[in-house]
Amino acid sequence: MPEAPLLDVRGLRVRFNAQVEAVRGVDLTVERGQTHCVVGESGCGKSVSSLAVMGLLARGAKRSAAHMRFDGQDILGLSDTALQRLRGDRMAMIFQEPMTSLNPAYTIGSQMAEALTRHRKVGKQQALDRAAELLTKVGITAPGLRLAQYPHQLSGGLRQRVMIAMALMCDPELLIADEPTTALDVTVQAQILRLLRDLQAELGLAILLITHDLGVVARIAHKVSVMYAGEVVESASATDLFAAPRHPYTQGLLGCVPIPGKIKRGDPLGSIPGTVPRIADGFTGCGFRDRCAHAMPQCAVSVPQRDDGAGHRHLCHLS
Amino acid sequence: MTAAIEVRDATRVFRQSTGVFSGDRLIRAVDGVSFSVESGGCLGIVGESGCGKSTLARLILGLLPTTSGEVLVEGQRLADMDRKARARLIQPVFQDPFSSLNPRRRIRDIVAMPLQAQGITGRAQADRVEEMLVRVGLPGAIGDRVPAQLSGGQRQRVAIARALVLRPRIVVCDEPTSALDVSVQAQILNLLDELRRDLGLTYVFISHNLAVVEHISDRVAVMYLGRMVEQAGTDALFAAPKHPYTQALLASVLTPEPGLGVPDVGLGDLYPDPANVPPGCRFHPRCKLAQARCALEAPVPREVAGHRVECLLV
Repeated sequence: MPEAPLLDVRGLRVRFNAQVEAVRGVDLTVERGQTHCVVGESGCGKSVSSLAVMGLLARGAKRSAAHMRFDGQDILGLSDTALQRLRGDRMAMIFQEPMTSLNPAYTIGSQMAEALTRHRKVGKQQALDRAAELLTKVGITAPGLRLAQYPHQLSGGLRQRVMIAMALMCDPELLIADEPTTALDVTVQAQILRLLRDLQAELGLAILLITHDLGVVARIAHKVSVMYAGEVVESASATDLFAAPRHPYTQGLLGCVPIPGKIKRGDPLGSIPGTVPRIADGFTGCGFRDRCAHAMPQCAVSVPQRDDGAGHRHLCHLS
Repeated sequence: MTAAIEVRDATRVFRQSTGVFSGDRLIRAVDGVSFSVESGGCLGIVGESGCGKSTLARLILGLLPTTSGEVLVEGQRLADMDRKARARLIQPVFQDPFSSLNPRRRIRDIVAMPLQAQGITGRAQADRVEEMLVRVGLPGAIGDRVPAQLSGGQRQRVAIARALVLRPRIVVCDEPTSALDVSVQAQILNLLDELRRDLGLTYVFISHNLAVVEHISDRVAVMYLGRMVEQAGTDALFAAPKHPYTQALLASVLTPEPGLGVPDVGLGDLYPDPANVPPGCRFHPRCKLAQARCALEAPVPREVAGHRVECLLV
């Protein structure tokens, strides 16, 4: 029997107010030691889904799911304190803008040490030693100097490395990374992604990576889920998804990306006409139908989930 | 034939105050940059953040004066032109359509503003605004809305309409698609490309996204710490980059091709600091190929197989 996935989410729904549902029945699984990328455009619900898993949604947001399990344990019904014990310990998160997620008034060292002193019975000095060790691991030279510095004294790439090191303080099993390289230069992006990949190989980390960048997905994901208007419209292994995308939205998205040397200059890029619809209550059928070249009358009624084998699924009337 | 834009040895120095007791630091954001863009061409400018590409855009637009050197637009010195004449010739499109449009004004008035400033009013103004909105693919009814009611892509179309309403010859696009989703980015790139061909415009296209620059530009310039380290035709630059920095930059582009993995860019952990430019070749601390003389001798640009390269080792 195959090992159960580390994170197993079924039928996740999030609504912010009575009318708007941001996430509409999302399934996500992350296997130990693997990277699952959730890709989609702004407003598709990818960040909200990841925050919902961490229990970090804004007050007023309503979360429900068929089940949500971490290492076999139900985390849907956990109390805030129980969830707090898990968060930052066995599951950690890094965000897009390291400048806004680090506290400008505290040194790197004290912020990093806090992660450990809160979750484990260790002294300040022991925590600082651990912080220095992790800074070295994420490729920061002179960790002693960095621990005494404040966030504004570091470059964007260094700050993101600090965020990653901080997330690793308690040896998490699951790392959720929300657009971790979007604010960085391409050269630094490649370094950070290599770092995540190496850490994964070394520590057996499971990574749930949220991104809008199909290039990042292709290069780092084992599994991919494409989100559109609050739903996962297609999910597959990275190799399958890029070789044989099934959903018209995935196909459209891949056609939009300029690839040096692949599309002739002067030829238009593929683009998806229209904009993302506002999904209000009572919405039925496919969220993509207004922008889809293949839309049929039944698309307004329902959408079947199609199993294409080998873990490849998509949500569409077309096979 | 005169070039649409000619920049000769342009330098822009900023003074950064470091506190009450220490002296100011000088930052040479653009340092001795020369290039030209031929009429109807599109020059892409790429580089990491802090390399001076946006400062260069501002120099070309005349929004900032050069500290030394000069910028010529259609053969005339930009410094000698008044604002109105400059606006008829050269216009910007900026990155963030959320902050570059006045949130309190209707779209129609935003697009009419450049005409208003030139004294074009009434029927003539309204007609040109209408024509421009249609030209950039916006429905006519949008004129009565305010920016908050528009999507990101629609706002960028408004910014393009505003830039083109005076029928300028040159458009400087500074990261025009960086804030947009990929599907919308593709729409805007297609529109910009079509407008350039139909209206015979000249573009300077600044972006950190090399794939976008490759798609839209016919010539590409690579900037590093205020210098232009390599310039070449797009195909030549992407096929055979000469400068080690260009090579690293191209290697770091993640195309959606699974199986290729994440490249080792080999630039190390040192980040360039514009306030503390290394002596000799400014790229040498990060360069894999650097030799002892790279730290001593500043390279001058040379022509190598159609590339203009600034490297001692090429």
